[in-house]
Formats: sequence, structure tokens, C-alpha cells
Amino acid sequence: MATIGHNNLNAKLVLLGDMGAGKSSLVLRFVKGQFLEFQESTIGAAFFSQTLAANDVTVKFEIWDTAGQERYHSLAPMYYRGAAAAIIVYDISNTDSFGRAKKWVQELQKQGNPNMVMALAGNKADLEDRRKVTAEEARVYAEENGLFFMETSAKTALNVNDIFHEIAKKLPRAQPAQNPAGMVLVDRPPEGSRATSCCS
Amino acid sequence: MHETELNDLSDDADYAASLQQGSASMTRSDSSRRSSSSEPDGAEVVYLKDNVTIHPTQYASERISGRLKLIKQGASLFITWIPYKGQSSNAKLSERDKNLYTIRAVPFTEIRSIRRHTPTLGWQYIIVVLSSGLAFPPLYFYNGGVREFLATIKQHIFLVRSAEDANVFVVNDFQDPLQRTLSSLELPRAVPVANGRSSSLSASESPTDKNQVRADGVAVDGSLSSIQNNGRQRQKMHDPARDLSIHVLEKFSLVTRFARETTSQLFRENHSEGFGGNERRNHSQSSHDYHQNAASIDVEKVPDEVPVAPDPLEKSPCSNRGEEAATNVGTFELIDSKEIDKLTVWGKPRQPPLGPEEWATFLDSEGRVTDEKALRKRIFYGGVENNLRKEVWTFLLGYHAHDSTYAEREYLVLIKKSEYETIKNQWQSITQDQAKRFTKFRERRGLIEKDVVRTDRSLSFYEGDDNPNVNLLRDILLTYSFYNFDLGYCQGMSDLLSPILFIMKDESESFWCFVSLMERLGPNFNRDQNGMHSQLFALSKLVELLDVPLHNYFKQNDCLNYFFCFRWILIQFKREFEYERTLRLWEVLWTHHLSEHLHLYVCVAILKRYRRKIMGEQMDFDTLLKFINELSGQIDLDAILKDAEALCICAGEHGAASIPPGTPPSLPLDTGLLYAQQDDEVL
Repeated sequence: MATIGHNNLNAKLVLLGDMGAGKSSLVLRFVKGQFLEFQESTIGAAFFSQTLAANDVTVKFEIWDTAGQERYHSLAPMYYRGAAAAIIVYDISNTDSFGRAKKWVQELQKQGNPNMVMALAGNKADLEDRRKVTAEEARVYAEENGLFFMETSAKTALNVNDIFHEIAKKLPRAQPAQNPAGMVLVDRPPEGSRATSCCS
Repeated sequence: MHETELNDLSDDADYAASLQQGSASMTRSDSSRRSSSSEPDGAEVVYLKDNVTIHPTQYASERISGRLKLIKQGASLFITWIPYKGQSSNAKLSERDKNLYTIRAVPFTEIRSIRRHTPTLGWQYIIVVLSSGLAFPPLYFYNGGVREFLATIKQHIFLVRSAEDANVFVVNDFQDPLQRTLSSLELPRAVPVANGRSSSLSASESPTDKNQVRADGVAVDGSLSSIQNNGRQRQKMHDPARDLSIHVLEKFSLVTRFARETTSQLFRENHSEGFGGNERRNHSQSSHDYHQNAASIDVEKVPDEVPVAPDPLEKSPCSNRGEEAATNVGTFELIDSKEIDKLTVWGKPRQPPLGPEEWATFLDSEGRVTDEKALRKRIFYGGVENNLRKEVWTFLLGYHAHDSTYAEREYLVLIKKSEYETIKNQWQSITQDQAKRFTKFRERRGLIEKDVVRTDRSLSFYEGDDNPNVNLLRDILLTYSFYNFDLGYCQGMSDLLSPILFIMKDESESFWCFVSLMERLGPNFNRDQNGMHSQLFALSKLVELLDVPLHNYFKQNDCLNYFFCFRWILIQFKREFEYERTLRLWEVLWTHHLSEHLHLYVCVAILKRYRRKIMGEQMDFDTLLKFINELSGQIDLDAILKDAEALCICAGEHGAASIPPGTPPSLPLDTGLLYAQQDDEVL
């Protein structure tokens, strides 16, 4: 969940998607401005943080990067539970990875955090000549499912900062006076339900 | 996403028969219930089985037998396993061991799944996995009754068989696979694992627990605690927390005076303000006070200012001077107490790696290794020179037998080469047309191709376009995924193969060495994460044994699942050290000198080095994981190996007893199918 300080927002963000889609590369580009041609696979999970300013607020992203292989799927809920935002990543040159992205979207929708900001990232946009998933197809899917969509390239940095920026703008802002229904303003569940929460 | 279809047990022909047996045992247990005057009203023993046994070490001769019960109270079902009093197979198995493993009324709401194992030889056993992700050691049914046990559970709560693995029975109220996944992955409350102290702590969680456990009412805790206490009194009236502390103290005291002072100080703190005191009080109170008292335990927290007690291992590496003192656990260097702040010398100094001349002295004229144990010990303390690794690793990995001659090995290599080619040909002969209709093959090849191109590419051996060694990685992994089709390919395997190919160079030799390694590490990659869970569980027990304050810290910060050590264990620290250092660590681990599970002591040693930072900075799970990942490249291997050796010796048989039998890299207990996914006709 997103937490609010004085003009500061902490937001837990999780990256999900097929292995080799470029989750770690997107994070590395966003957090360190780097790109490795052969980014090694993620074992278990990795955690990063990065701050950016969006409008009037400074958002500190606490980013969970997860292992992509189906075999490790059972570990994912540990990392996406309580997340304020998710980027679901696929590889535009790989149809299967798009299918896998849809499954992640379904899972997050079922998991039932209606406030979660979900972004769909069609990564490796630099590989235009090997494209298998059209931007149009993905855009339609994203619209139907209430996600926002961008094609990105961790390699060329295309839209990488933008997608995080867009998420930052979409994060629910605190309105402490009104405390709107359905909006949870703390990053931990209340003390009583901690037993069922993740250790984030 | 697991598209799991859950199989109901009622589709099984044997199920009805097992119900019969189930009710027979209920009758029997009913009478035993009445004989126990302390059993509260409303609690009913619905299953009772004698001679259910655990094997705390890898030796079948060492066992603790006990009585397994299912207790029903209201809508809740609880499992208990209480060891028999004074019937150890072995005098070395003390009351402390029994206490460590006793299961005191764990509700099924805390249990994720039960895995049944049916070895072709030996007893059936089950492994109970908690929703925290940890697991109890295997319970062997010497008198049979696993089927009946599962059938009884099925009568009372929702139990379904996993479609992915017919031997896994998922205990849960959720039918939806996603919900099940979610609920099964809840990170630990205080985890009630097989230990007197933590079992009481699990009760302490109930006041804050708003889920099913709580809904059953406070009375459950109270009444069941009287069962627990009763059981405990029947065994022997003593304080397990105190016992364990004293035990560790004893062990530590053998090491150095310094260690003794430090640890006694640690435990003093721990006892005066920590759990030990509460536990003692708890015993003398009536069951009505139990719940309330437990609640007070829950309040206990690491103080905000965190005055972290020093630990002998967290200091910087130190001088090797000092005399040696022989104790009954080994030889240690004595430490001048004036040097306390700088010192931690426990393990023996590392030696230079084994070189060709010395290696020759281990071989007889025909090439047999004459003293395998001495060789392993030698490598444990110094490793192997790089140019010798190709030869020596084949022994360490078990590809070549130590008593084989040069000629026999040469012959085996030829045989194995042709065997490799045969298996490789199985996928090489798949035509494009066939591949179109063979999704599993295409997927598998795709996974492997994605990973090999990003495995150690900065190393000259693997760098550059169209590097033939990258292709070898791919071919070997794909061939392995046909050799072990049930396991297939899993991320992390390329990390394990890369150093082997780097050393062996030869394709077939690398393959067979990898096969040998995977005999031990394969369970790390099991779909149900069983191998990883058992290692993480063992790690948590070892930290509890060797560093109580750190254990308590992890407990209070919801970090007891030890997932922050996942990468360390899955790929044997491959990402934590420079390449050459990883090779050294691996050959040391593979000697299995002192313990097959030295890698877990390596984990403890690293955590101990950084314990002050971890606790002082109040790291939560996120920060801890980030911190641990970023230790990569920062760890001093030699110092850690010395610490790990010392810890392993200190922990002694109690350390070994904390590691459930069959925990990787031990060879699997089952002599039957290694990765059985076949249907099973029993249930």
C-alpha cells in the first residue's frame, strides 16, 4: 500500500511477468540507469528503492523484482501482497510472454486489491523487426482490463521512467480529512491482522 | 499460475476401506481419552497411533518414537506428537531432543499440506508443512496407518489431494487455487515448530490472530494447554528453554573462555527479560492462566534502542595465534581474554589447496584413492588447485568411485560418453515438424535458451557471440531435462552447471558430474519447494540453537521463513562470491566432512557476522533481503568457512538433529522414484 508522509509517498511496487521478459532490466534501467545485455536471471527475489517526483509529491518506490519461471510462481504472492502498484511485463517479440502477462493480470484482479495501480509493459520495443505482439492488441487488452499500457525498452530507456512516473501520478493520494472509503492509508494491515500479512 | 484441479479423496476406491480403519482407531483412542483425567470436555481424540517415529539424525538407528494424535475440539482439529518417556533407541538422544521435536497441539489452520512418502523399502512417512512454509521432520509410521491418518483428517476438515503431486494433501478451507496459494504463503506468525518454546509462542499469537484459530475461542488454547502440560509432566518436569540454553552454553564453553563469557551473558539477558522467564512461570500456572500469560509473551519485543549483545563471530577476522586446547569436541585455539574485542578464532586455519604432488600420495599405483576420508578432510581445509579440479571433482561429486583404478575410470568414461550421446540424441532427433506438436519440448528448450545466454557471460569462458561453451551449456541442460524429465529445467540449474563445465571442459563428463550433483540438489527445484523448505526450516532451527537473540529478532520481525537466504541455498552461494571463490566453496561443501549440511552453517556464519548490523538497524524483511543480496561479493570466504566449521562443531549432534533426514544435499531417503509424479493407487 502507499503510505503518505508530508508530501511524501511510499509505494510498494512489484514486477511480474514471464522469465526473460525484462523485469530486472527495467528495474536496473529505472534505478541505476544501466542496461546489461545479459542480465542474469533473478533467483528468489530482489528488492530496490528509487524516488521520483510526481506533481506535488515525492514518491519513493519500494520495488520487488521477482523470479519469472512458472516453477517459482508459488513465491510470488509473498511479494505482491500489499503492493500499491504492479508492472506486468511481457516481451513484444514473444507471444507466450503476453499470454503469461494476462494470467498475471487475472491473478492480481482476483487477489482483490481494487486500489492497486496496474501497468502493462510491452518490453523490448527496440526489437521491432521481431515483433509478435502488436501494440494495438495489447492496448485493447489493457483498456478492457483497466490497466494502463506502454511499450518500453530497457535497452534504449524508452518509456522506462515514464511508466514509473505514470504510476506515481495514478497512486491514490491521501486525503486524511475525508478518509475515503476503501482506501487504506497504511502500508501494514492493522496490528490484529498482521499474522496473515507478508513481511513487507 | 497453478491451474490446479484438486482431486477429492472420495474418488478413491480405498477410501471407504480406510474409513473403516479410521473408526476402529477412534474407538481405541476413545478409551484412552477417558483414561486421561486431564482431558477437558469437548476435546476428543479422533485418531491415535503408537510408534510414530522421527529420525533426528541421518542414522536409522537413532530414533525417537512417540504417539501421534488428532484431537478434535469444536470445529477445530489439532495434531499432537508426544515422544515416549525414556525409550530412546540411543542414549545420546536426550530429553532435549524429544522436546525439540514434540508437536504440541498444532491446529490444522496452521498446516498447509501433508506430504506422504512411500519408500519401496522401509516405513511410510509423512511430512507436515506449516502455512508459514516451515515443516516438521518426517514422521515415520512404524505400525502403518498413514492412509487411516489422512482419512481421519478428511472426515473432519477440508483435505484435498494436489493434482500436481498425488502424494501431497493440501489442508485448507479454500477451494480456489489462488486463494489457497495466498493463504499458504502467509509469512510466519511465530512459527510453532517442534520445540517447547516456540510451541508456547504459537499460542501467544492467538490474541492477535483474527483468523480461524481465533474464532475457535480462547477455551481451546486453555484446555489444550492442559493436555500439553500434562504430556510434558509425564515426560519430565523441566524447562526446555533453559535446557537448550544450558546445552548451548556447554558447547560454547568447550570452545573458549571468551565464548563462554559471551554466551553466558547472552543467555543471562535472554533469561531475565526474555522468553525463558515466561516459560517457567507458565509451567507453574494453571491452564486458565495460560492464555493470558501467553499474551504477555507476545508483548515482548526487542527494545527500541537495540543494545545488541556482542557475538564472538561478528567481529572482524582475527589473528591465528594462541595455543591449542584439546576438548572432547575437537581442537580449538585458546583466546586471550584481554583481546576479546578483536578476537574470534574458532575454526582451524585454512591450508593451501591440494596440489599435484600431495594428490599423488592419496593414490595407489593403480589409481585408487586409498584413504577417502583423509582426502576429504584435506580438501575441506584447503580446497584443490585449479588444474587438479577436473580430476578430483569427479570423486567429490561421486561420479567416480574412490576405489576405482585408472583403467576402470577410463572405461567408465567411454561407456558414459556413449550413454550421454544416446540421451542427447533423444532430443536432437526431434524434427521441426515433431517439435511443432511437442509443446513441452519447445517450452523447455525455450527456458534453457533464455537462461544460458545470460549465465556468467562476463567470464571469458562464456563471453562473446556464438560462444561454443554457451551452446554446450544448452545441450547439457536440455539433455539433462530428458534424462530427468520429471524434474525438467528450472532456473538456477544453469548456475550450477556453469562452474562444472568450466572445470571439466568435456561435454559428457560435465553432464555426468552435473547429474551427480543434482542427485543431491535436485530437490531444491521441486515444484512444491519441499527441498528448499526443509533447508530453510533447518536453518531456522540452527539459528535458534546458535544465536537465540538473532532468532528472536527474526521472529519478531516476521522473518522466520528465511526467504532472504533463498538464493544462497538454491544455488549454493553461486551468486555470492567471485567465480574462483565459488569453486573453492563448492569443493569444500562437497567433501561432506563434519556435515553434509555445512552450507547451512555457512548461512549461520554469515548471518552472525552481520547480526549487529541487522538488529542494530532494525532491518525488516525488505531491507534484510536487499542487504543480503547486496552482500554479494563482500563476503570473506575463508573467514566464513572457519566460522562455519566452528559452529558446526559447537552445534554437534544437536545441530545435526535440527536438520530433518533427507534434507538436501543428503541423498533422498526414498529409494524409489526420485521425483514421483505418477498416479498413486492408494488414496
